[in-house]
Amino acid sequence: MSPDTAPILNVAKLTKRFGGFYALDGLSFHVAAGEILGLVGPNGSGKTTAINVISGLYAPDGGEVVLDGGSIGGVASHRLVHRGINRTFQIPKPFLSLTVRQNIEVALAYGRAAVAPPDMAALLDEYRLTDVADRPAADLNNAQQKMLDLVRALATRPRLLLLDELAAGLNPAELDWIAERIKALARSGVAIIVVEHLMGFIEHITDRVIVMNAGKEIFEGKLAVAVQVPQVIEVFLGGEHAA
Amino acid sequence: MPSALKHMLFIVAPLLAVFAVLPGVYQNHLLLFNFVIFLILAQGVNIIYGFTGYLPFGYVGFFGAGAYGFAILVMHYQAPAVVAVLVAGLVGVALGLLLTPLLRLSGAYFAIANLAASLAVLHFVANPALENITRGPYGVSLTGTFNPTLAYTAALVVLALTLGAVVFLKNSRFGLALQAVREDAVSASMAGVNVVRMRVIAWLVSALVAGLAGGVYAWYVSVFYPDNVFSGEFSIFAIVFALFGGVASICGPIVGVILLYGIYNLIGFTTPQYFQLIYGLLIMGLVLFLPAGLVSLATRRGWHVP
Amino acid sequence: MLIYALVAGVLFGLYFSLVGIGLNLVFGVMRIVNLAHGDFLMLGAFVAFGVVTLAGIDPLFAVPLAFVIFLMVGVLLYWVLVPRLQGSANPEMLSIILFFGLSQVIEAVTTIFFGTSERSIQSRALGTVFSTIKVKLFGGKPDAGGPVQIFGQGFPASWVIAAATSLIAIALVYVYLYRTRLGTLTRAVMSRRDEAFATGIDVDRVSAAAFGIGLGLAAVAGIFAPFMFGSVTPAFGADATVTSFAIVVLGSLGNPLGTALGGVVYGVCYMLVQTYLSSWADLLPYVLLIFILLLRPSGLLGRRVRVA
Repeated sequence: MSPDTAPILNVAKLTKRFGGFYALDGLSFHVAAGEILGLVGPNGSGKTTAINVISGLYAPDGGEVVLDGGSIGGVASHRLVHRGINRTFQIPKPFLSLTVRQNIEVALAYGRAAVAPPDMAALLDEYRLTDVADRPAADLNNAQQKMLDLVRALATRPRLLLLDELAAGLNPAELDWIAERIKALARSGVAIIVVEHLMGFIEHITDRVIVMNAGKEIFEGKLAVAVQVPQVIEVFLGGEHAA
Repeated sequence: MPSALKHMLFIVAPLLAVFAVLPGVYQNHLLLFNFVIFLILAQGVNIIYGFTGYLPFGYVGFFGAGAYGFAILVMHYQAPAVVAVLVAGLVGVALGLLLTPLLRLSGAYFAIANLAASLAVLHFVANPALENITRGPYGVSLTGTFNPTLAYTAALVVLALTLGAVVFLKNSRFGLALQAVREDAVSASMAGVNVVRMRVIAWLVSALVAGLAGGVYAWYVSVFYPDNVFSGEFSIFAIVFALFGGVASICGPIVGVILLYGIYNLIGFTTPQYFQLIYGLLIMGLVLFLPAGLVSLATRRGWHVP
Repeated sequence: MLIYALVAGVLFGLYFSLVGIGLNLVFGVMRIVNLAHGDFLMLGAFVAFGVVTLAGIDPLFAVPLAFVIFLMVGVLLYWVLVPRLQGSANPEMLSIILFFGLSQVIEAVTTIFFGTSERSIQSRALGTVFSTIKVKLFGGKPDAGGPVQIFGQGFPASWVIAAATSLIAIALVYVYLYRTRLGTLTRAVMSRRDEAFATGIDVDRVSAAAFGIGLGLAAVAGIFAPFMFGSVTPAFGADATVTSFAIVVLGSLGNPLGTALGGVVYGVCYMLVQTYLSSWADLLPYVLLIFILLLRPSGLLGRRVRVA
């Protein structure tokens, strides 16, 4: 997939305040269909806030979020889902008392997928949930809940998928497997933004990264290049180290 | 056979048939009528609490408002009873609409605000300054429309509608989406569900049910005071019956009403304070040892309970 | 008229703060809604009746007695009820129902022992200890506990005594929270319950203490209820609970000292409505509660309560 195609999402000068604290302070970036973009940066640099604003959980306090040329800042989450944005959560949030199958059914029924909604059995199978399909989501382990979160998102056929620390807590075998899944999704034309702390994982799957600090981007490009930039090194030293 | 049809045939129809036949063989019609009213109210609580997680501590507000809607229409406009019952339902919905902002509150805050709202409506209706309209604290007497047989039938119709609504919720994607909202509103919106609209619909349906029940109640008893139709016992009983059986199911609230209201009538009337004691202990035991209701005894064993 | 209403409002308001503060302490620490709060007030009132009728002494002596009794009752109840409740899926919601059940039990037991008749205490009984001391020290005749003059208006001495006791009680709560070790831990649990767990604070011990103190304060407030409201029946609890909620929410849930502010605001509103719009006075607590929840859900001193 060529990342040169017109961007599906454009974020320009985005700001988000909590009281006097600027969680986002003029963040700008874009992502194209079929591209995997990594958002990296130390804790508190605004990665999750950026995802929360793009997915409609918070309204922005300034700047623009543009999807397919139309501004979407402050539009309600369920409308954004209908327009093709979906996401997973850092801590998975399934509907605990409903069965796995029912969890997915809700998204299939209400997601208004632009093209035909995906097939339940195929989704369950692809993300290794078939065996637990009729168990309440509360019975799943953390990795399975993460997969359910992802499947719930995929059931709405997103064109832009935001993955908030999907890989954290997975074992090496699972990591390789999910990396392939994410790449396959991108190959099918989905634009994907990945927030992740595991630098090896980021290196492996992303085309490009945005390094964030204090609510704005300080670097854009290949991760291999980023780790040579003094400003990036300074931000990460004392915080988390590139693996 | 689709499960909705099964539920209608094997749960709803037999229950209605039993309550349609019972007045012919059992003398205490008021008791039967009260059973029907509590079946309606417990299912109304089921709709809002079981499917959306909002605990309506002031549920009686809709019931009382419905009763007074009925009374005002009959007293001031000489409306026929059936029309007045329909208006009672609308009064319930109108009050529900007025109170939709409460849905912005979560957990205990909603429950308390709803309780306060029902007490506010009570004190409003019972205010002597409104004597010309509501008869204030002096109560209303509607001898013109007094017809217990018809009123009982009307109650059965309302019960049928209410059960129909619960069967729909239990078997539809709409009901599933409501439960998703109850479990996690943020995730539900990420499944494409319009969270606000879903909550408002469930809220108004449960308000409608209670308003209709209030109208039918006013029709049946024909003489009542504000304290009767706004009695907190209606809210509490309906909630406890529903919880005891198990919410978000069709059978739970029915079982709850029949068992608990049955026990109530066996021991209740002669010594109210002893009853209150037993009742209070029962509620505490329920919360501590069986928080998901009787139905959970079966579902825990893997049996499916509609 | 206005001055009378304002001063009476402040006196009542201080008392209302005491009525609500225990409820708020319990909610703040445990995220548990004590719907039986008003019933502990009612029990406090019965302790006052007991002291007056059995011993014939000033009901002020019931203050330490009631506090200690209900402190112990609270700690005991905590261990019986709360750990099991906290283990359930939705403790906050279930606590409402659990404590409603408890309130039914308390009301029923009280009715079984004392009947449903309204009980009141002659307001002269309150504060007799002061005139006795005055007579002992300065001689002269015991006066009848007449009205206290404030800004040229006479107010019942019982109101002033209740307000003063409330002020002292609130000050002691402040000292507890900000000057003692257990109090500091209590504030830690109030601000971040999960993290308090993680840092090894004995959350159960802190919570049990808060629960006991909460009930103790409710009972102390109850001692003055017969003087402030005229009379008390076993059914008094339910109304008292709703009123307490209005006060607590007004101040801000989860912030016990905010309750002092909420109480005074509530008291002044209450007296103003009583004075100028008396037929609608009954509506006040409910309407005020709803409006505050909707317009300023965080109360006067802030905490987020809405759904995300």
